[in-house]
Amino acid sequence: MSLLGMSPALLATAPTDAGQTTSQAVKSSQGSAPREEGKITAVNPKGNPPPIQLIPMAPRLDSLDGKKVYLVDTGFHGSDVLLHQIEAWFSANMPGTTTVFKRKAGPYAEDDPVLWKEIKSQGNAVIMAVGH
Amino acid sequence: MGIPSAPLVTKAFKDLAILNAAKRGMPHERICFTPHPIWGKTPEEVRAYVEGSDPVTGKPLMKEVVDALTVPLSEEDKKSGTVSVSTGPATFTDTADNLQELYLNNGYTDFLPIILPTEEKVDRMMRATSHKPDEVVGKMAAGAYPPWSYTVRQVAASAVMAGCRPEYFPIILAIASSGMASLFSSTNSFAFAMVINGPIRDKLEFNYGIGALGPFAQPNATIGRAWTLLSKNLGNGGIPGDTYMGSLGNNLNYNNVVIAEHEDASPWVPFHVQKGFKKEENVVSLFRGLGVVPGQVARGSSANENVQFDYQMSDLFSTFTGFFGALIIADPLVAARLKEQGYDTKEKLIDWLYKNTTQTVKDYKSRNYAYLFDYPRALRGDEPWATWYKLPDDAVIPHFPRASDFNIVVAGGQTNAYPQAGNLSYGVSVSIDKWM
Repeated sequence: MSLLGMSPALLATAPTDAGQTTSQAVKSSQGSAPREEGKITAVNPKGNPPPIQLIPMAPRLDSLDGKKVYLVDTGFHGSDVLLHQIEAWFSANMPGTTTVFKRKAGPYAEDDPVLWKEIKSQGNAVIMAVGH
Repeated sequence: MGIPSAPLVTKAFKDLAILNAAKRGMPHERICFTPHPIWGKTPEEVRAYVEGSDPVTGKPLMKEVVDALTVPLSEEDKKSGTVSVSTGPATFTDTADNLQELYLNNGYTDFLPIILPTEEKVDRMMRATSHKPDEVVGKMAAGAYPPWSYTVRQVAASAVMAGCRPEYFPIILAIASSGMASLFSSTNSFAFAMVINGPIRDKLEFNYGIGALGPFAQPNATIGRAWTLLSKNLGNGGIPGDTYMGSLGNNLNYNNVVIAEHEDASPWVPFHVQKGFKKEENVVSLFRGLGVVPGQVARGSSANENVQFDYQMSDLFSTFTGFFGALIIADPLVAARLKEQGYDTKEKLIDWLYKNTTQTVKDYKSRNYAYLFDYPRALRGDEPWATWYKLPDDAVIPHFPRASDFNIVVAGGQTNAYPQAGNLSYGVSVSIDKWM
């Protein structure tokens, strides 16, 4: 993960307090130590990442029995095929769960507030697919 | 949304999905993974994926999906608050050799040797602008990530690293202020280009003559390189698997396509004037797309007495995706011939190209980009795609949705009458003078 420029600490544990600092995987030789013979000081070229606002995850359901699960197709190739197979899996294995297939409006990167509103008012959970 | 969700992502995007969730504030999001790819698989093959295991964890996929929605949250999952992210100390002190290694290993470079951004060199760079060292220049993101911000000093560091002279710095600041990164997270391996207009082309000795697009002048070479270093360092782009997913990558990303327009040899108005600037203003205009192809491959490109560059260009563009625009880079000889044919303005040529570069609806619908981007717009009722998707397969439609998808610049040494063309969309034009 350090090769990706992201501290594993960010993923391994969430901070316990607001304001905690995590760092990218920056190798630092001498930091800003006083210059010594034969040494030079160079400027760190990295910009300033925004702070991360932690978002509490939504409470989970006790079970999916009797619940309505929205299957949301992002529009990537094959997402519909995958979600229809998941739909079939629920019918065969968890018939007490209702599934609703929906294709998200607009290209995959665009928001679809109308669908989110529908899901929030009528659904209990979401399965969204898929990235390629 | 406030209700439980289980995102499904293919295995190839594991790091991207986990890191993106973490950067957006949900480091413990319960992401489930399928084999990669899903695209092109039959329903039977996909059913086997659904009934099989998550390739990341090895656990049954659907059990993971159900668990993601039903297993109670841990205290970690419920946390809120703010986490600041550090990118290390403001400076590093060591020997020159060790600093070269450090900058390489920290991912600050393009893996070519750099000029170390010593405090002295960075200060000298900053003296080429009236803007203060700690002034925030802008924000940049390498795709669908929260953007990073940066100061004049941080921009100057990358400019030094790329080999820029201080007098180039206002151009670098103008590019940085646009917020447009030249490295993008897409799997498509995007390419980027810039067009330089105004007297600064001569003042800084840009090459817009023989070999205009080649490595034959310091400003063309280093300013283009600087854009990529800015994108890596200021926008945190170009980290494979995280902020960069281009499957093949793109060699043009080393220093991008830098085009100083040959304004004096052009029969048309300069590009920046088309965008509302005065001729005496210095402007950089930025483009994004897939790359550049040579005009020699077009049909009708053999030498004859009635060479028709308009048809050649139209032929070239018929292979482009209409998702991005078409940028014509015309040698002055090409431009002069086009004017002789009656195209005495860029707008006349663009109008002809828009109307005569066409495709059948059947061909259009078979294109990947149409399915991914235009079809969803058509479903939503956006035009012209909604109308195009209702037409019969043999109907003929424009290859590009708008005439404004075409752009024309003139550059080259007039040693032969060849155009090049980029499948590149115009993004933005930025005043260089404001950063002097």
